[in-house]
Amino acid sequence: MDAGLLEQMLLGALLALSVYLPLRCGQLSLATPGFYAVGGYVAALLSTGVPAFAGTGATSPLPALLVEMVLAGALAGLIALAIGGPVLRLRGIYLAIATIALVEILRVINLNLPFTGGAMGIFGIPQPFAQPEGYVAFTLALLALACWLCQRLEALRLGRAMAAIRDDELAAACVGIDTPHTKLIAFVASALLAGVTGAVAAHFFNSWNARAGSFDASITTLAFVVFGGSRLWPGPVLGGLLLTALPELLRPVGDLRLILFGAVILLGPLFFPQGLVTAERLQRLQTLAALLPRRRGAPLAP
Amino acid sequence: MDLIQILVNGLSVGAVYGLFALGYTLVFSVLGVINFAHGAVFTLGAYFTYLLIGGAVGANGLLAGFALPFALPFWGALPLAGLGAALVALLVERVAFRPLRRRRADPLLALITSLGAGVILVNLIQLLVGAESYAIPTGALGGLPASFPLLGARVRTVQALLLAISLLLLAVLSLWLEGSRNGRGLQAVAEDAETAQLLGIDSTAMVRLAFGLSGFLAGVAGGLVGLSVSIAGPYFGIGYGLKGLAVLVLGGLGSVPGAVLGGLIVGLAEACVPAEASGWKDAVGYGFLFLVLLVRPRGLLGRPLPTKV
Repeated sequence: MDAGLLEQMLLGALLALSVYLPLRCGQLSLATPGFYAVGGYVAALLSTGVPAFAGTGATSPLPALLVEMVLAGALAGLIALAIGGPVLRLRGIYLAIATIALVEILRVINLNLPFTGGAMGIFGIPQPFAQPEGYVAFTLALLALACWLCQRLEALRLGRAMAAIRDDELAAACVGIDTPHTKLIAFVASALLAGVTGAVAAHFFNSWNARAGSFDASITTLAFVVFGGSRLWPGPVLGGLLLTALPELLRPVGDLRLILFGAVILLGPLFFPQGLVTAERLQRLQTLAALLPRRRGAPLAP
Repeated sequence: MDLIQILVNGLSVGAVYGLFALGYTLVFSVLGVINFAHGAVFTLGAYFTYLLIGGAVGANGLLAGFALPFALPFWGALPLAGLGAALVALLVERVAFRPLRRRRADPLLALITSLGAGVILVNLIQLLVGAESYAIPTGALGGLPASFPLLGARVRTVQALLLAISLLLLAVLSLWLEGSRNGRGLQAVAEDAETAQLLGIDSTAMVRLAFGLSGFLAGVAGGLVGLSVSIAGPYFGIGYGLKGLAVLVLGGLGSVPGAVLGGLIVGLAEACVPAEASGWKDAVGYGFLFLVLLVRPRGLLGRPLPTKV
């Protein structure tokens, strides 16, 4: 498979995880593309404007990328922290639309600030990796880290508190869970992940403009999660990988490509209302995996 | 720019937002979900109007050069385009909403299925008639002048029509919702679908009615906007759809007067943005929405829902 497409799929999976985090405690926030765009601008501005970040060789220094990712995540997280308190008082569809409004506000700000390059955006962002394979390895490591953190969350009190809020917010509050605090943590973590992802993406795409964060992207990233399954972290990862790849894989059908893409989004939830990854299917897969090596490696005779 | 001009510009744009939000609100009140294919239905209404008044398809797309063998006056074409859009909205309900309802699936899924339906519609338009923009000739209005003076300002006839037709539709809709048997049935289903069903109201039929009406409103709005600013391509409904969504929440989900009030407020607020800051115009509506939600989490005229334990 083309390494460029693979990189886009990995970025899609990271964004899907960012939507999954608030959804894990029942908050339908669609703000991810806004934070993604902000993170990308941080990386683009630093690496094109500050000589130390651009480096002098053919490729920009890797530590610079790491610093950009930290700063991008921090800025996105700070924005989320600042607005999270009042915004997370909203429920259900109100929250969803308020976060879409936030994405649009951020888009207009990014478009009109004096130093973000207007509609054309920022060009010639230096490359920390000479080959797309370098990005793939780096992003894969980032995705693995994010998945590991999501897996750890299941075991922590915080993760269980999030699940409790998702199932019944009132009951969760009654057993002593600080629901506003927990929701805010999930929201900030989501923003942080999106910001970090944006920083990597800006380098990979080489240019960055306000179109990176739009209403379409809000709904597409939600589709990743719904398609893959919103209850367990492998769901959004699988959804992000598959749905990012789909329009490219459908390229041979030409003009019908996006119509078929729409049909997949339309039919997916009808046939898999729980998403592709469910607890039962994962269980079955684990049973299969446990059986396989035993069959192959079973000793024939003592 | 003087005050009257700002007022007229703002109200006519706001009226379109209001029509848009009304369509969302009809579906939301009976199903509790948002129909993301609504913007695509609006776009289709504009193209239907263009074809019905005798416009020909451009050089791109599978239907290149196609034109209907007849040409209707705008007054005939607009309601027919609305009906066409209503049929498409019914189709959307059939494929993207009813299967989920039958399976009692998570309502969140309808956001995704309706988005899928919208993606299909938009790209189908592009496939059939290409991505170029189409202008509905202003001559379509027959003998009416292009603009007329009002209190010292010049008002485009199209803008006045937009406002008048939107307000008319709103008034008819409100009267119908309050006064007619079907209208009250619709309200009963919005209140509680199961109880309404027990009382002998066919809630499936009411859902279809809501979709048909919302499609009709979207189609008419699309035709009017197409006449006012030309059809900028298959995606031109999306921006309005998004603004309509903000208006919907600003006014309060499920509230008919709220939808119209929200539309007029956002339209007026946008018209007040001076030309040199026009880049910021799109942020005004969303910023306003954001502020209102912080003060009134249920929107301006939305009813607070009781928390169920």
